Amino acid sequence: MSIQDIPGIFTEQGLKTEDLVVNIGPQHPSTHGVLRLITTLNGEVVKDMVPVIGYLHRSKEKMAESRSYFQYQPTLDRVEYLSSFFDHYVYVSAIERIANLKVPKRVQYIRMITMELNRITSHLLWFGTFLLDLGATSPLFYAFREREDIFKLFEDVTGARMMYNYYRFGGVNADLPPGWIERCRSFIRQMPHKIDEYESIVTKNPIVLDRTVGIGRMDQELCMKYGVTGSSLRASGIAQDLRKTNPYCCYDEIAFDVPVGTHGDVYDRYMVRMAEMRESCKIIEQCLDRIPGGDNQNVRNKQAEIDAAKAAAKERGEDPKSVPDLDPDWLIQGQKINLMTYKPPAGEAFTVCESPRGMLGCHMISDGTPKAYRVKWRGASFSNLSVLPELMIGNLYSDLMAIFGSLDVILPEVDR
Amino acid sequence: MSDEQNENGKTPTTNPPESGASAATKPAAEETVAPLIPAGLYGQVLEMANISVKHLGPDATGVEMIDIAPADLLRAAERLRDQHQFDLMMSCSGIDWKDHRESVYHLYSTKSHHYLAIKVTAVNDHSPSLFPVWPAADWHERESFDLLGIHYDGHPNLTRILMPSDWLGHPLRKDYKVDDPRLVWNER
Repeated sequence: MSIQDIPGIFTEQGLKTEDLVVNIGPQHPSTHGVLRLITTLNGEVVKDMVPVIGYLHRSKEKMAESRSYFQYQPTLDRVEYLSSFFDHYVYVSAIERIANLKVPKRVQYIRMITMELNRITSHLLWFGTFLLDLGATSPLFYAFREREDIFKLFEDVTGARMMYNYYRFGGVNADLPPGWIERCRSFIRQMPHKIDEYESIVTKNPIVLDRTVGIGRMDQELCMKYGVTGSSLRASGIAQDLRKTNPYCCYDEIAFDVPVGTHGDVYDRYMVRMAEMRESCKIIEQCLDRIPGGDNQNVRNKQAEIDAAKAAAKERGEDPKSVPDLDPDWLIQGQKINLMTYKPPAGEAFTVCESPRGMLGCHMISDGTPKAYRVKWRGASFSNLSVLPELMIGNLYSDLMAIFGSLDVILPEVDR
Repeated sequence: MSDEQNENGKTPTTNPPESGASAATKPAAEETVAPLIPAGLYGQVLEMANISVKHLGPDATGVEMIDIAPADLLRAAERLRDQHQFDLMMSCSGIDWKDHRESVYHLYSTKSHHYLAIKVTAVNDHSPSLFPVWPAADWHERESFDLLGIHYDGHPNLTRILMPSDWLGHPLRKDYKVDDPRLVWNER
């Protein structure tokens, strides 16, 4: 008698195998947060995958109902800590639209500059960690070198490296410090060369090509089905960028391109994000040229001139109001409001912006009291993550981190 | 806190005429308000297809809001997707208006770049699921069910998504007791 004769060991296809359930996470270095994936494997092929989320649920939506509008704002930095300017923008603009607050042009430009810089830092972190997931350690250090430079610029403006809390209803917290625009410009001028440097390490690297080209292919239909937005959608060939299609701030005054991919695989998502960083550099450079009032020192000088002219007019016995005030577009606050007690009138707004991960939306319902009646966050990662099982089923387990990393999901935004 | 929250909740129902959003909560007041609200284009187009639509006017960002009866919802959604190119379901937010619950679907078209908000009032906390039309609704509706207790009929897997599976109650409801001793983690 040999082992073949024992029933239940061999089938007609060969050795009998059973499916293996592997529980990935919740604590896993490659899940960028706390995510659990219940994976059923047949050999090395993923047969089924169920994402379990909610480990980072901090009830941000409930918190909005028990805090005043201004008290709630600092907690937004923690919704998505890699690109929190965007969360602040949609929140603040929802209130501005409900209350019909005027936003000066200088503020719009400051917001655009900070948001685009933030997009670069977010993509840089993605670049580093994505390649770290693939097993390449060194790109992380290159990416963090420039990321730190941008954080220094942010620190000068907002006082914080990551948790900014900088935008205000109808304005920003403080003006750009004197000389900041020049420093930002010199950084932005060298940034494209740095991106060339990253690309020279990665883009044609045979190991990276082997692990990314043709992997995790997502067609346009699948993207639409699951509500995938952002770079992952553009990599599939749909040029959907809210900055272009539904311009907010002053994006309609700026010339830039929307990079799109063709195949929608992991490699295309990588290429689209690298191209987006270059486009962001272009946008920032144009914004720095066009910002009304220019450098802070220029605005201060102008204000001093006006003050002196008003004093002189008063001395001459003329009405000081005859001297024209500072151009309202140069201000950093549209209209003076008491932030601590501020309440917009009753109303409803749904504001969306193009965050580094896709469409980030805030649905706000105000009932005229100092607290919001309902705030609902539409995180781009929430929808982008829901497509993961569809991409993984039938693929090799070893591709999981390449595909998951390429979606650029951040879990605090999924769970809120 | 509870006193203040009661106060908050009452304002939209007792103060109808100003905002289209809150007017939907009180049918009696709505009759007087309805003529003031302009009919949006997508609402008119749906009406032409024999779908009864309540026009709620644009919201503060200019997004057209329409209220569709649960019975007509799937037909309207299919029409919006197939004929009017609303290919992206952005989000589904549940709202607790104290006496009833409501889901708001925000749609976007990557072809015409238009937004549209569909509101559906849940009848006894039951509302039809839009999963058959936009599979993106899957997780969004599970979130609304989890946090507000709206049951989406026709959803393939309506389970809790953000809260633990053995959680009691629905946290985003206005009458949710935050300090209920049964909710203390260590005692469960």
